[in-house]
Amino acid sequence: MNLIDIYIQEVTRRLPEKSRDDIALELRSTIEDMLPENYAEKEVKEVLGNLGNPASLASEYSDRPMYLIGPRYFDTYMTLLKIVIPIVAILAFLVIVVENVISYSGEEDIVNGIINVIILILGHGIWGMFSAAMETFFWITLVFAILERKDTSKSKSPLTQGWTEWTPDDLKSISLISKEKKISTGDIFGHLLWIAIFISVYFNAGHLLGVYEKVQGKIELITPTFNQEVLHSYWLIVIVALIIEIAFVFYKLILRQWTSKLAIMNTVRNIVSTIVFIIVISNDQLINEEFYMYLEDLWQLSFELKNLFIIILIVFWSFLSILDIVQGFRKANTK
Amino acid sequence: MEKLLSSLITELRRGTLTLAVLSQLRTPQYGYSLVQLLEKSSVSIEQSTLYPLLRRLEKQELVESSWDTTESRPRKYYVLSEYGIEILEQLKAEWEKSTKELQNLLKGDVENEPD
Repeated sequence: MNLIDIYIQEVTRRLPEKSRDDIALELRSTIEDMLPENYAEKEVKEVLGNLGNPASLASEYSDRPMYLIGPRYFDTYMTLLKIVIPIVAILAFLVIVVENVISYSGEEDIVNGIINVIILILGHGIWGMFSAAMETFFWITLVFAILERKDTSKSKSPLTQGWTEWTPDDLKSISLISKEKKISTGDIFGHLLWIAIFISVYFNAGHLLGVYEKVQGKIELITPTFNQEVLHSYWLIVIVALIIEIAFVFYKLILRQWTSKLAIMNTVRNIVSTIVFIIVISNDQLINEEFYMYLEDLWQLSFELKNLFIIILIVFWSFLSILDIVQGFRKANTK
Repeated sequence: MEKLLSSLITELRRGTLTLAVLSQLRTPQYGYSLVQLLEKSSVSIEQSTLYPLLRRLEKQELVESSWDTTESRPRKYYVLSEYGIEILEQLKAEWEKSTKELQNLLKGDVENEPD
């Protein structure tokens, strides 16, 4: 008797409240129908064994699905995750990197300077990226699990991107992606990593980059390359250039292939960053005189390095930019 | 292979289950009496499938149910509704049609077999 009660409880506790009593009553009468008069525990076990696991019996009774996200929503769910999670992760990464760079005081041991700061900031960034991705994953999953349960249509066929049934016309809005045009995930992440490293170095260059020398057994930054105050004074245009860079990366992430629009945007961002670079680099005060003197001594030059150095950098940067612009258009125009 | 075969057989039978159950509900039956009826015709059905199936059929308005409390233990009786009879007839016709088609296919299979 006791086992029957427990079995019925195990089934009904998994069911909606309003149907519990009726199912319990029917189940009890059915079980008793199957048992002989004056039954023993052995016979009860046999009958209950026939009915099977209470969980699966309950799932047969219940209309609710035994899965979180079913075939109707799975494809839309995965597509959405693949688009949203990278974007959220990247944003979190950049925000945390910027936050850390701004709050960085430069008091860390100069011996480990660059490496230390970069590892520390990247570490924070990666952790933030991970937790933001997890949170997004959770909320998207929750929304789809609810949708799955609220959807009253009996259709099991996967939804299309427009949340409607599939028709051959849907194919018209999709283009074929060739291998040459495709933008790889590595490309996108490489670009972002570069932006992150650039931000952390640019705003800390004064105590990171320069000539290091051993003084009394400790390595110290003797001659910083850059004048941090000058670097900071250009913060506005640098940020503008960075925002354009980030927007460009997101555009790449969404398109996933080279188009002529993307090539145009690539041109714009290269021109902007080149202009900003030229403005910043041609400031007289940007690079410390001591640094030039150090190099001139080191290489035993008999002429002034300063102007040549700046011109070489500008030419080099412009050359890379032009190369990048041309490549963008080439990729966009291949069939 | 045994496992695959048995899962294929289960799948094959699953579709016919509703038809088998509906066909026995022209007269009122309660859960266990229906099991016995089906077993008499050697149709085996998991009990954990049958009872929930009866409730689903009721929800789809193919059968009607009523509690009989006159006997020593209360029993829930199920019987075909008007709509259920109609559906049963159509399912039956469909079943006969598809078995005939399948038989033709299977006969062709034997004839085409190389000696």
